Amino acid sequence: MNFVDLNKRILSAHASEDGNMLARLYGDAGTQMLAAGQVDEGCFFLTQAYVFALENGLDSAEAFHGYLVEHGREK
Amino acid sequence: MPYDSLNPVIRPIESARGLPNSNYTDWKVFEEEREALLFQNWAGIGLANDVPEPGDVAPIDFAGMPLLILRDHSGNVRVFQNTCRHRGMILVENKGNLRGTIRCPYHSWCYNLDGSLRATPHVGGPGKNVCESVKREDLGLFAIRTHVWRDIVFVNVSGTAPEFEEYASALLHRWREHEKPVYHGGDTSGFNFDVACNWKLAVENYCESYHLPWVHPGLNSYSRLEDHYHIEEPGHFAGQGTKVYRQVVGDEGEVLPDFDGLSSFWDTGAEYIVLFPNVMLAAQRDHGYAILLLPQGPQRTLERNEIYYSFDPESRPDLAALIDKNAAQWKGVLEEDLFVVEGMQKGRSGIYFDGGKFSPKMDGPTHTFHKWTANQLKSYRGNRAAQ
Repeated sequence: MNFVDLNKRILSAHASEDGNMLARLYGDAGTQMLAAGQVDEGCFFLTQAYVFALENGLDSAEAFHGYLVEHGREK
Repeated sequence: MPYDSLNPVIRPIESARGLPNSNYTDWKVFEEEREALLFQNWAGIGLANDVPEPGDVAPIDFAGMPLLILRDHSGNVRVFQNTCRHRGMILVENKGNLRGTIRCPYHSWCYNLDGSLRATPHVGGPGKNVCESVKREDLGLFAIRTHVWRDIVFVNVSGTAPEFEEYASALLHRWREHEKPVYHGGDTSGFNFDVACNWKLAVENYCESYHLPWVHPGLNSYSRLEDHYHIEEPGHFAGQGTKVYRQVVGDEGEVLPDFDGLSSFWDTGAEYIVLFPNVMLAAQRDHGYAILLLPQGPQRTLERNEIYYSFDPESRPDLAALIDKNAAQWKGVLEEDLFVVEGMQKGRSGIYFDGGKFSPKMDGPTHTFHKWTANQLKSYRGNRAAQ
């Protein structure tokens, strides 16, 4: 994962208030980190993804919630 | 016993005085009245039509209290205090549509549209969204008691008033023939006035007919003072009626359709009533209106005027011009009142003004409102003193 590129894309999505994109970018980052065994970092990003998915009424909120519950970070 | 400046207000009208100047100019009294008059009763704050679609939100500052009107995903109109339970941040600043939850812009606590707290991101540390001492089930938004009638969103902030149907029962009964669906007239049928007066002065002017020949000479040409009567329901509402209501007529002689099933009284009868505290209403054969008084401080009021018809205007484009004409006519009449309420506000800076003198023949509805106000305040102050 290219974190410099990811950071730029996240900042761009924040600047344009693109909640759908934020959910996707944070979600991708979170799931990749979990896959790499970086649980704390992954759950941080998945939390971000979850919030933007909730705010925007996205179906992906359920999946993000599932990951967080699985790791004891959400109920 | 100390002198109570409200005691002369509740005397019989012949010997009564009006409310003291401080009830119109003083922030401390404004804040007392906010509690005693606006929060402990059913006050109008907005329209269901402000949030027509599920997910629509409309924030409002109601006499300094931040409220949020919304329509949930089941179509119900709800009102909440517009304040996050975490750090007290205002949740929604602008009118709009929410596709999902309400997200606090500060730390992103998220609330469902039923007010329940859905998510508390990072509350237990980064990436940890639960915390033993932060119990979501106890931290939903404060729900404000809400009732919608004639498209008006009423709230009882204190939660202590009787049910709305009981609170307004005398008016609901009086206008039972008008208990019909109403349709907002569209863009031209809604207009606001930002008025430099205490909100009560708008009430007082609206519920009396004494001023009509002087302030509305155009109306007086066909609707003379003697054609009007007082309406007084102590403790509930006050207003005036006319026996010579005339419909607006279009260039081709067309008129607006009547509400169904009205008795002959309404052929030429019309009534203009203030449901205490802050909703001014009109009932007529072919249209009605509501004016919400939204206090901005002791000496400033937003008057929100909204006109309603018996039919959906979108279904009758042929009547669009007549709706516009009717709205323009009312706007003109209501604008004629502005210098009066602003003038009475200015006059209350005169330190020798003693509340004024009522005409027993002409000022009954005004006195009814003053007496209600004084009694509400006395009761509020008494309860505070006893605590």
